[in-house]
Amino acid sequence: MSGNDLIIYEEETNRMNDMLSKMLKGCEAKCALLVDKDGHLITRQGFTHSLDTTALAALLAGSFASTREIAKLVGEPEFSVLFHQGKKDHIHMSIVGERSILVVIFDDRTTIGMVRLYAKETAIELSNVFKEISEKSGSDKPELSDEFADAASDKLDDIFQD
Amino acid sequence: MVSINYSAREVCCKIVYYGPGLSGKTTNLQYVHEKVPSNTKGNLISLATEADRTLYFDFLPINIGTINGFQAKFQLYTVPGQVYYNATRKLVLRGVDGLVFVADSQPDKMDENAESLANLCDNLKEYGYDPAVIPIVMQYNKRDLPGVLSVEELNARLNTYNWPHFEASATVGNGVFDTLKMVIKIVLEKAKTASSSKLTSKSESSAEGNRPAMAGSSTGGTAVAEAPKVDTDEDFRPYPGGHTGGVPVQKAAPSNAVATATVAASSEAKTEGTVESNHDNEKSNIDNSTTMSEPKADVPVTPLMAPPLRRRGDGAKRGFFKRLFGIK
Repeated sequence: MSGNDLIIYEEETNRMNDMLSKMLKGCEAKCALLVDKDGHLITRQGFTHSLDTTALAALLAGSFASTREIAKLVGEPEFSVLFHQGKKDHIHMSIVGERSILVVIFDDRTTIGMVRLYAKETAIELSNVFKEISEKSGSDKPELSDEFADAASDKLDDIFQD
Repeated sequence: MVSINYSAREVCCKIVYYGPGLSGKTTNLQYVHEKVPSNTKGNLISLATEADRTLYFDFLPINIGTINGFQAKFQLYTVPGQVYYNATRKLVLRGVDGLVFVADSQPDKMDENAESLANLCDNLKEYGYDPAVIPIVMQYNKRDLPGVLSVEELNARLNTYNWPHFEASATVGNGVFDTLKMVIKIVLEKAKTASSSKLTSKSESSAEGNRPAMAGSSTGGTAVAEAPKVDTDEDFRPYPGGHTGGVPVQKAAPSNAVATATVAASSEAKTEGTVESNHDNEKSNIDNSTTMSEPKADVPVTPLMAPPLRRRGDGAKRGFFKRLFGIK
């Protein structure tokens, strides 16, 4: 299997949440998501209740992945920042470390400059956290037990009925 | 690479439907979306062309509920089948946990099946996956059509890795759930061996006690509160940075500083460059001319050596050509 394992402990999740909250207060954005490049949502802060964050994470990761390929085609290793401008809401995406994407959704109460400034600072802080995590996780590997797989298979039979 | 999020108490798997164009990958997802209970499914998102051909991917999240205290979530993706879209197809494979290869059972589609299968193996290898190891289920689709090849024949020609296989006709739903159930089972079986987990998040204090199977007995591992912490009423500012006036200054200062530094550096570089080039010119002159014995070392060779530009004529005469041609 490719990719090295990464274990994020609750302490680090809390630290990341604090950083995101601080950033949101600073730049007055609506919400922030931290998304894995594979499309999994790591954590989120702000007003995310009205959002389908699962789909959003998958689409944003897809969008970033295609942008990365575009970058390669024009001879850039990566476009580190991506910005979508809407009528009311805008999305700012930036790379955190090597494997995550920081997504900030904001409206006209703030400006792209403010979001960019704060997102840049937060991305550096977050990438330090990820660095610590990857150093710390080492050989610790999480696993599912036999019971989980068995229970899941029973549940699947209930749900997937023609 | 099953993602086990211990703080949010979630297990998340990514399952990709692969196969040649028009083999029925999207139809599989549409059937699943149509048939599963509404509380278990999210929206089916289709990034398709106007002609309903998949352009990037289809995405369907499924949450089968809580198992031993953990939410089991599955993200079903399809890829664009057309050969042309290999770049985007490859992107969807990133971080995949299990695959369903949807093959078209019609005899005239065998070449396309084989080509797509070879492409799958290439793309998997590029990400470092081994097609013999990663969970893959083969689905022989369109069994309801007349004149399709027999399963034995299809197995012989396509199923070289001996993956589990199912007959299906996705339009009516035969075999769709069997395939999905099988791939999920293999993925979870594989996750048990623990060699494939990638991104997790768990409580440090109870790393052992909080495994999904043990969750029933353990009380630790509280989910991270995801309530919004931003209180805009309290801190509402009509203008960004209103009472934190320092921020824009902070923002401006470093950028200016950097800009100035860059300008300074570039001008220095320019000057140095010029000096060096002058030196070079001089050296070459010396080499070429045998009359000069040695260069005048005491005379500084800088751009200042160039005679100052002098304007010809006095103020009244200046701009003669401008006036002549009517340039303002």
